[in-house]
Amino acid sequence: MTGPDWDGLVRHIRETADDELSCSECFDLLPQYVDLEVAGQPAETTLPRLRQHLDRCGVCREEYETVRELARLEAEDRPPSIDDLRNSL
Amino acid sequence: MKPRTNAEWLSALKATGAEQAAALEDLRVFVLRAALFALRRSRGNLGLMSPAEINQLAEDCAQESLLAIMQSLDGFRGESRFTTWVYSFAVNTALVAARRERWKRVPLDRLIEETHPGASAGWRAPALADPDRQTLQAETLAVIREVIDRDLSVRQRQALKAVVLEGVPLDELARHWGSNRNAIYKLLHDARRKLKACLAERGISVDDTLGLFGAER
Repeated sequence: MTGPDWDGLVRHIRETADDELSCSECFDLLPQYVDLEVAGQPAETTLPRLRQHLDRCGVCREEYETVRELARLEAEDRPPSIDDLRNSL
Repeated sequence: MKPRTNAEWLSALKATGAEQAAALEDLRVFVLRAALFALRRSRGNLGLMSPAEINQLAEDCAQESLLAIMQSLDGFRGESRFTTWVYSFAVNTALVAARRERWKRVPLDRLIEETHPGASAGWRAPALADPDRQTLQAETLAVIREVIDRDLSVRQRQALKAVVLEGVPLDELARHWGSNRNAIYKLLHDARRKLKACLAERGISVDDTLGLFGAER
């Protein structure tokens, strides 16, 4: 950490909405959002408040990115094998 | 493993005997895969943990996720693939565990520090070469600090400093305070709304201030 992330704070302030989803609501909607994205559907316009939450919440965003990677591999019928994952730790 | 539709997953997991046992065995493959995948992706948070320890952590996360999934089956609304829904449980559990591992030795009390009015004066911003930009940065920072010190509650100040300025994960701060992620997010949301309103009242355009604090770092 090089110092306080003031630029990040200003971005957060700019993008603040009056009504934002909670992390639990994000968790509930996340699988639908990911599947829409993986299917090439307009996830951002279908679930705009979820996108807004992901842009504000680092932990939810990290989880979203990981689920999206897994769902992509699953949809392409090449999910990583348990053995390969264990061997690459 | 035989591919299943959403309905087939639900039916098999809610069945009894051999049918349910087979479905649980298959489900375990999905959650363990997701836990291992998430922990490997988050390897930087796991410090000196050996591969064997990470593997054990993944097994623990998979077990915890399996229980949570079975308890939540009636909440599956069918708006996604069942496997994507399952992945979201295991990824959440694994990444929360990885963040806990990364932050467990960090003294959050000292990092958050305090919080009395005026404390934000010690939070430094980078110097800028352009005098006009430096002036705008100073004006913006003065307003932000004033609002932080005058209008935010102690908890809001602490959460803002920890999560937004210092990068402490929301769930780690929640754990530290015996709270939950939703409550911390709400605390931060209220603080951001207050800051946004006060900057607008002072006629400061947030768009104009973007880049003033990080571009030359």
